Amino acid sequence: MATKASRSAARVMIAPSVLLLLGWMVIPLALTLYFSVLRYNLLMPGANPFIGVENYTYFLTDPAFTDAIINTLLLVGGVLTITVLGGIGLAILLDQPMWGQGIVRILVIAPFFVMPTVSALVWKNMFMNPVNGLFAHLASALGMQPFDFFAIAPLASIIGIVSWQWLPFATLILLTAMQSLDSEQLEAAEMDGAGPLARFRYIMLPHMARAITVVILIQTIFLLSIFAEILVTTNGGPGTASTNLTFLVYAESLLRFDVGTGSAGGVVAIILANIVAIFLMRMIGKNLDT
Amino acid sequence: MGRITLHGVTKNFGDTEVIRPLDLEIEDGEFVVFVGPSGCGKSTLLRLIAGLEDVTAGRIEIDGVDATGVPPAKRGLAMVFQSYALYPHMSVRKNIAFPMRMAGLDKAEQNRRIESAAAALNLTDYLDRRPGQLSGGQRQRVAIGRAIVREPAAFLFDEPLSNLDAALRVGMRMEISELHTRLKTTMVYVTHDQVEAMTMADKIVVLQHGVIEQVGSPLDLYREPRNLFVAGFIGSPKMNLMTGEEAERRQAATMGIRPEHITASPTEGLWQGTVGVSEHLGSDTFFHVHLDGRADPVTVRAGGEVSLHHGDMIYLTPDESRIHRFDAQGMRLA
Ligand SMILES: Nc1ncnc2c1ncn2[C@@H]1O[C@H](COP(=O)(O)OP(=O)(O)O)[C@@H](O)[C@H]1O
Ligand SMILES: [Mg+2]
Repeated sequence: MATKASRSAARVMIAPSVLLLLGWMVIPLALTLYFSVLRYNLLMPGANPFIGVENYTYFLTDPAFTDAIINTLLLVGGVLTITVLGGIGLAILLDQPMWGQGIVRILVIAPFFVMPTVSALVWKNMFMNPVNGLFAHLASALGMQPFDFFAIAPLASIIGIVSWQWLPFATLILLTAMQSLDSEQLEAAEMDGAGPLARFRYIMLPHMARAITVVILIQTIFLLSIFAEILVTTNGGPGTASTNLTFLVYAESLLRFDVGTGSAGGVVAIILANIVAIFLMRMIGKNLDT
Repeated sequence: MGRITLHGVTKNFGDTEVIRPLDLEIEDGEFVVFVGPSGCGKSTLLRLIAGLEDVTAGRIEIDGVDATGVPPAKRGLAMVFQSYALYPHMSVRKNIAFPMRMAGLDKAEQNRRIESAAAALNLTDYLDRRPGQLSGGQRQRVAIGRAIVREPAAFLFDEPLSNLDAALRVGMRMEISELHTRLKTTMVYVTHDQVEAMTMADKIVVLQHGVIEQVGSPLDLYREPRNLFVAGFIGSPKMNLMTGEEAERRQAATMGIRPEHITASPTEGLWQGTVGVSEHLGSDTFFHVHLDGRADPVTVRAGGEVSLHHGDMIYLTPDESRIHRFDAQGMRLA
């Protein structure tokens, strides 16, 4: 791409894909913005008059909205905490030379290949079910009262399921980071008098910092839009106890057939996601530069 | 103090014997070089001394105290790794401070030692940089700085110069030698380069396949190699080794003569041959001479500005008093 001619040729060449991507993004966004300022309820056919920001005020002042924001943050924060901490632990364990390393690694990665709906169903019916679930059997075997996960701790249960799905991803990325750590550095630290904890704190953790940031960034993007696990297990309930923003938008637009409010919710979700993205990019930028 | 004694030290990795039972005495303040071809177990031996590997059998004593089971940090030894092993996310200052920080030294003392090490190693201007922003030679110096501040009983170097270019290597070689004269601390230095060994060592340990072939001062090894391996390994260019009639005439299975102990003449001499490839180094010239009826060429050193050409007829005369004789087992004959 050195000469003027080759640069303009390149521009012409990539133009179709840029246009396609732009259309792909712009048209749905424009439609969503358009619907979000209309009174547009599928249960009330007829005119769809322009009502300005009414949909937004309705969505934002809905008590369910605050709950959804809090739940979204708890969900993202909880899963990130568990997967990053667990991922670091597993990565260090799996990096040790051991018998059957290959098989163990594949087993650890496996949950990532299970579809969200399937894994949520499996957890709901086979593990957490208060009557037939494995945990219930375990509890009664130990003479304890079975715990009704989704009734008593719905959000925590979902955090558990989602963490189980994402732990492999974090482990995989962090394991690759661990494997790229020069063993002479660890030996040098050992000779310098650093014990196992100091080696972790001063050598391994800084070495993994970049990988940890990548894990956080990618997971946040996906975790903000967790949906299938909630739909399959709790349906956002009881009440709004496990409703996140994505699920609230779904509930507004598809359960109540209110396209206008749903669109407004969608726009709010986009804005919030972008705020989070900006923060993350700042953080990443700082970490990736060094 | 830094006297290191190895008694019957052995190391196996699985079924492979990397170090055969081996005894060695390293005196306090000595500069000892382990030299040998790649894969002969030099690094392993150094790591055994450092405590980074456990011995399979045998005993390691440091200053007369049994250190065989002592963890690396407690042996009072500092190591400079081949890859330097600097901590990439720490500044040069923090890298050098790390061992002192781990030892819990107070800040003022830490700074004093950092400043003096930096001054000695020309690092003062780079203390706030990261290792990634330094050249190879500077990184090497940081690694040495990190070792110095610990004030160890002995320094261990594992091929510290092998990642540097030739000019820098000569410079660093001098610096390390000077450091040794100044600190008078024991240094154990591993290299596969016999030039480094010859120029730096007080005592050279020649290793092959995990066995010590000879221990001695550079000149001892040069003058009286104990066997064929040492004869061929020490000295550059290599000693000329000949078997057959010439050797038998001197009651040996193999005879050796160094390139610098052969006189070349265009008119008369003991052996007749033709000049092959010649290497002009300016100060010296090395000729490869093809003797009549002999496959391997003989290397001969001549003055820098001798002009002999490819294909010229030449006569060679070895200095009989400098001929090395070896028996059928490759051991030196008196
Ligand atoms: N951790 C290890 N496991 C198995 N074999 C090893 C290990 N470290 C070194 N070796 C073997 O021991 C021999 C000596 O290695 P090393 O001491 O590194 O040689 P060098 O003299 O080149 O430094 C080599 O044949 C090498 O393959
Ligand atoms: Mg080595």
